[in-house]
Amino acid sequence: MTHSARDVKATLATAQFLHKLSAEDLEKVAAIASTKSLEAGAVLYQEGEACRMLHVVSSGLVALDMCMPRQGCTRILTVGPGELLGWSALLSDGTMTVRATAVEETTLIALPAHKLRQLCDDDHDIGYAIMQQVAVSLSRRLLATRLQTLDMFGETQPVAAPVSPDNS
Amino acid sequence: MTAAAESTLNSETFLPRDGLQKLISHLSGDGFTVIGPKVDQGAIVYDEIENADELPRGWTDRQEPGRYRLERREDDAYFGFVVGPHSWKRFLFPPRATVATADRTENGWEMATPDEPAPRYAFLGVRACEIAAMKIQDRIFTGGSYVDPVYQRRRESAFIIAVNCTTAAATCFCVSMNTGPRCGSGFDLALTEIAEGFVIEVGSDAGSELLARLPVTPATDEQLSHADDERQQAVNQIQRTLNTDGIRDLLLNNLEHPQWSDVAKRCLSCTNCTMVCPTCFCSTVTEVSDLTGDHVERQRQWDSCFNIDFSYMNGGIVRDDVRSRYRQWLTHKLASWHDQFDSSGCVGCGRCITWCPTGIDLTAEVAAIRNAPRAKASVATETVTPQEGSA
Amino acid sequence: MRGTPPVTACQPANPWLAYTARIHAVRDETPGVATYDLMFDDPALADGFTFRPGQFNMLYLPGVGEVAISISGDPHDFSSVPHTIREAGNVTHALARMREGETIGVRGPFGSSWPVDECRGKDVLLVAGGIGLAPLRPAIYELLARRDQFGTLTLLYGARSPDGLLYTDEYGAWRSAGIDVQTTVDRAHTGWTGNVGVVTLLLDRLPLPRTNDTLLLTCGPEVMMWYTIQAAQRRGLPRESVYVSLERNMNCAIGLCGHCQFGPEFLCKDGPVFRYDRVASILKVDDL
Repeated sequence: MTHSARDVKATLATAQFLHKLSAEDLEKVAAIASTKSLEAGAVLYQEGEACRMLHVVSSGLVALDMCMPRQGCTRILTVGPGELLGWSALLSDGTMTVRATAVEETTLIALPAHKLRQLCDDDHDIGYAIMQQVAVSLSRRLLATRLQTLDMFGETQPVAAPVSPDNS
Repeated sequence: MTAAAESTLNSETFLPRDGLQKLISHLSGDGFTVIGPKVDQGAIVYDEIENADELPRGWTDRQEPGRYRLERREDDAYFGFVVGPHSWKRFLFPPRATVATADRTENGWEMATPDEPAPRYAFLGVRACEIAAMKIQDRIFTGGSYVDPVYQRRRESAFIIAVNCTTAAATCFCVSMNTGPRCGSGFDLALTEIAEGFVIEVGSDAGSELLARLPVTPATDEQLSHADDERQQAVNQIQRTLNTDGIRDLLLNNLEHPQWSDVAKRCLSCTNCTMVCPTCFCSTVTEVSDLTGDHVERQRQWDSCFNIDFSYMNGGIVRDDVRSRYRQWLTHKLASWHDQFDSSGCVGCGRCITWCPTGIDLTAEVAAIRNAPRAKASVATETVTPQEGSA
Repeated sequence: MRGTPPVTACQPANPWLAYTARIHAVRDETPGVATYDLMFDDPALADGFTFRPGQFNMLYLPGVGEVAISISGDPHDFSSVPHTIREAGNVTHALARMREGETIGVRGPFGSSWPVDECRGKDVLLVAGGIGLAPLRPAIYELLARRDQFGTLTLLYGARSPDGLLYTDEYGAWRSAGIDVQTTVDRAHTGWTGNVGVVTLLLDRLPLPRTNDTLLLTCGPEVMMWYTIQAAQRRGLPRESVYVSLERNMNCAIGLCGHCQFGPEFLCKDGPVFRYDRVASILKVDDL
């Protein structure tokens, strides 16, 4: 299934990490973008795999799993339309920290990390806008991760629970 | 109110010293359980009395932060002291009371509420601050959407013989709280003790009716003048003050003030202050079964916000340290009470100061905050960013 | 009996008296959570017990104690009074051992309610977490019962894991009746095909076209409500458009025991539902 250039631009326009770019700069990003489709259950990349592409979800849902030896895999996050996948390709060496699997039929915009980095190096205005928004996206995801860590629905009792027979 | 009663209300009468016993006897005869001050375990407490001889004649109290001692007076006054560890709340809002019952039957549990007639109390020796405290508890127990029948029945039938203070303790600050030392209303009879006896003011029809049976004479100018002098003595002896200007905002705007941590180092969270305070009303209802388990009583007992599990909620304790519990008590008493009940919760009786084992004085705690107010963003400004620091 | 003045299981002049009710049915919802449908013995109450969405009852097990539980059913369904209850302490543990037909005592309803009438003409966003969906469910029923009075209705619901999601068998009917239901979990097994992540991520993805005419009703762990409100405020919702349901130690439910105080508020009578601006400043104070 192919997507028109217009679809690519439409998706990029909804991508949070690109939303400070001007229409002209967005064109430059669109020029390096390609599209990708995944069937439900298809794996985009494995944990530990080298992946040199940044992805923005256009439609559908991508699940991120992390695995532990002997304890199996846990689904830790799902990423939806407009959201970013694979930021380690842009920010570090591209070794993926999660396995990404399409949960339903999903279309993605793919951006080669080295080309995006080149774009940022050549035009610092674009670079600043992109990095600023990547930072915002990451801080939101960090907050969300911390909230998950708090395990706020957990039913743990405090260490020194007082004996209160009539409290419930 | 009848014209006769009204004319009695406007004039004061005099009862000689030996008439006090007649007062007590008439009340007993009318079916009241007379409660009055007595010396017990080195303090003046409130208990049942039948005889004027049981009153603390010739005793006075010396009170300071964390200290209470009885001393002999030079005279033989019946009421020459102020307030002790008891307040009248122990009779109107008893430390333990059954509020409901459940009985197991063939058809399941049967629920009921107690129907026995409430005791009819006559309180002898009620001070102005204590009348103020009763009015505050009236608002709590009978002035809201739900009425507590236990309190209401006892309060309705209570006969109040107030006593105007003729002395003040070092811990008293009723003048700051506008609650005394003079009794203005809320009594059936009010007595001011002078050397030869009592000058009496009438406060109600019931009071006037009782007065008519006592050997009273119209008070002479000299007796009235002595009564004024005695009452003035109490006013003159008040040393302690609490500045109540804007106190509600002052405390609620300083919920993170360092003074709370400071007092927390001294406070033992022992609950004495809440037990002796005449307005504190916190309680807990617990289940008490008989041996068969077929008859259960729901008993309401005094509790205290200083008790560690008072704020326990599934998962943990909300006020887990002394700092937060002391802050809760004081901000409730002096600030939030205004929001809840349109008045202060404090009547200036000073009991909490006297009976605190470490001598914490709430007037000093408030002054410390007032002298160095550091209004943080706790109540004033609203920010949108999350509480935690940098991500 | 319907149409007569609202019948309640609490007399203002004698508020300590409990009314007997039977457990009509018990439905297991999620691990540790079940819904108890109660029916009053008294015919007037059985036919006409009235409550507003967000209110709670005190459920009484003689010999064990009382516990405050939100009413989780349809305010217009008088056949029984459902309460979704999580086993957490002595009373709820004892309740979990009870069977259909057994008697318990009920006092109520108590407390403030969700502002359903104020939602008229507006978009409504309901954000719930865990057992917090239970006190919101009556509001959902109320909103759907008069669907045409409201704008867009959205429910965002988060739980710890997929087996912690309440009322999953009703989502289909709710969606058909006109509310968008989106769920998410904190963590899942790899077979889960729904959202994973905190509920604020779902909120970030929502288009909120008219933030001045949107009301947010939220109930769940306090930290979840806090961050949900921050996210909503960032999107432009004013504080007066947000309603929360708070929880504290509850003992008498009639404003006389002091336990449920939160700052100057008595949660049993001023709450549990509050408009956010009323409690915003005290929510920020630790250990209040």
